[in-house]
Amino acid sequence: MLGLSLIVFVVVVAVAAPLLAPYDPNDQSAMLNFGARAAPSLLHPFGTDRMGFDVLSRVIYGAPTALAVGLGAMLVASVIGVVIGGLSGYIGGLSDELMMRFTEFFLVIPVFIVILAVVRLFGIIVVGTWAERIPHINLMTIIVLLGLFGWPPIARITRAEFLRLKQMEFVEAARCIGATRRDIVVRHILPNAMPSLVVIIAIGIGGAILAEAMVSFLGFGDPKAVSWGQLLYFNYESLKVAPWASIAPSMAIFITVLGFNLLADGLSDAFNPRLKQ
Amino acid sequence: MGIARYIIRRLLFSIVLILGVSIIIFSLINAIGNPIQILLAERPGISPEALDAMNRYYGLDQPILVRYFSWLGHMAIGDFGTSIMYNQPVSEMLRLWGWETLKIQVPAILIALVIATLIGVTAALRQYSRTDFSVMSAALLGQSLPGFFVGILLILIFSYWLGWTPSYGAYSTRTLLFNSVIADGLWHMILPVAMLAFFNTATLTLLMRSNLVDILRNDFIMAARASGLPERRVVYRHALRNAFIPVLTYLGILFGLMLGTAPVTETVFTWPGIGFLYIAAIQQLDYPVIMAVSMTITVMLIVTTLLTDIAYVFIDPRMRLE
Repeated sequence: MLGLSLIVFVVVVAVAAPLLAPYDPNDQSAMLNFGARAAPSLLHPFGTDRMGFDVLSRVIYGAPTALAVGLGAMLVASVIGVVIGGLSGYIGGLSDELMMRFTEFFLVIPVFIVILAVVRLFGIIVVGTWAERIPHINLMTIIVLLGLFGWPPIARITRAEFLRLKQMEFVEAARCIGATRRDIVVRHILPNAMPSLVVIIAIGIGGAILAEAMVSFLGFGDPKAVSWGQLLYFNYESLKVAPWASIAPSMAIFITVLGFNLLADGLSDAFNPRLKQ
Repeated sequence: MGIARYIIRRLLFSIVLILGVSIIIFSLINAIGNPIQILLAERPGISPEALDAMNRYYGLDQPILVRYFSWLGHMAIGDFGTSIMYNQPVSEMLRLWGWETLKIQVPAILIALVIATLIGVTAALRQYSRTDFSVMSAALLGQSLPGFFVGILLILIFSYWLGWTPSYGAYSTRTLLFNSVIADGLWHMILPVAMLAFFNTATLTLLMRSNLVDILRNDFIMAARASGLPERRVVYRHALRNAFIPVLTYLGILFGLMLGTAPVTETVFTWPGIGFLYIAAIQQLDYPVIMAVSMTITVMLIVTTLLTDIAYVFIDPRMRLE
């Protein structure tokens, strides 16, 4: 249950960020008396960074961003994955073959490499259009892209579950009492496929958070968002003088990703008690 | 015969995959409009004649379909055009920078395989013991540890605090270690290889241990033991051989993962590899390089998957029956 407690901790920090953070994330007043890259002290427990921001406050305000990325990306991925995997598994036949080939295509391409290029190119396309006025458009792009490229594992699991479940007796029973196809899929098969889906989605959330951190670390993140990857990007070059500014966000990413991985592990044990023996 | 048909089908599918990715990348790059125009937006002083000449030089005055097929045709014979940023043939750059990437990735995966086998066997033989439990926990932790975090810690400890290893680059700029190119290169490789090996070891150990635990329960292991074979022979000859099959398939996936995240690894260590080149190319909108690097990584990934799948058929006789 370590996984669950880590996630609860991150969620509490994210929700209570304004209460917990000692400074505003955009407060650079430390420049005046402490200076940039000040070592950790009582007033700045994690020190200050290259730009005079309080590292602790920035790490705390990075939590809501990270959760938004993880949940948002997996929401997009789950919708696509469940629809494609569900149709594929339930209908079967040629459409199954086609959809699985399509899924395989997305599994093989180097997703991260493509996302980097798209984020950069999309940033150029939106300049001067109405889309530019959407708040955090860069972050949104990253979230949607992570979702658009993150669905294949979900589709595969959904398909496997639907294939298995549609042969079960309770589905046959539902068909016998005249339940509509929609009802069978939405009310009988899908709820029973949930346990496996929840596990794969939990892993996916951790993966999406890590991916956003890597995209931002490479300098393609949203310059207006406060994110852990962004913090790393700005401070990595002063690693030698101010290691705290790089270590603190890395720790935050590690804790969150570990939390979701452990949660997935715990859930899969809880759903399949037989595997544990 | 079954195998031949299987291989041909996989080959054809791989070609379709490569074409698909090439279309995606090519249309993406073209969606932003004329790359030259965007590059020059920050340098307004250029004359229209010079712009025309540049467009003609890079073939941008042609319609998009003509450009795609000419790019595809040239790519098929290994000609990726000229880099805008460096004004060098891209194929030459790929060879130089790609070599640096393989130089850290291939040793890392081999080292990880050896360590994971040793640790995995130790843990599996003492299932549910304290050793097994600590190995499993460490591997699970290691798997969740982001690669760049490991890199940052390695640099802090071994480069800055202990001063044993260089923190960036593939070669020293001034004096080489022991005045030897090889020694200096190896010295620079230590940290990047350690970081990649760390990540791969964690994943492979978990896989190795769980496979071996499953296999040791089989009847043929009991039969081998009952026939009086020494335990060492049972484990290393009979069990390990079977445990390697899923590990082999996973090696392909790991290699793909490493290639795909090469930009991160190489940024952490300022390593002059293909990933580092890719980041620079994206920032500068050096589109021949963007297309060349992304296609190279895709092709390498697809070829690795193909090879592991084919190797699987040869190693695992059960696959041949299908």
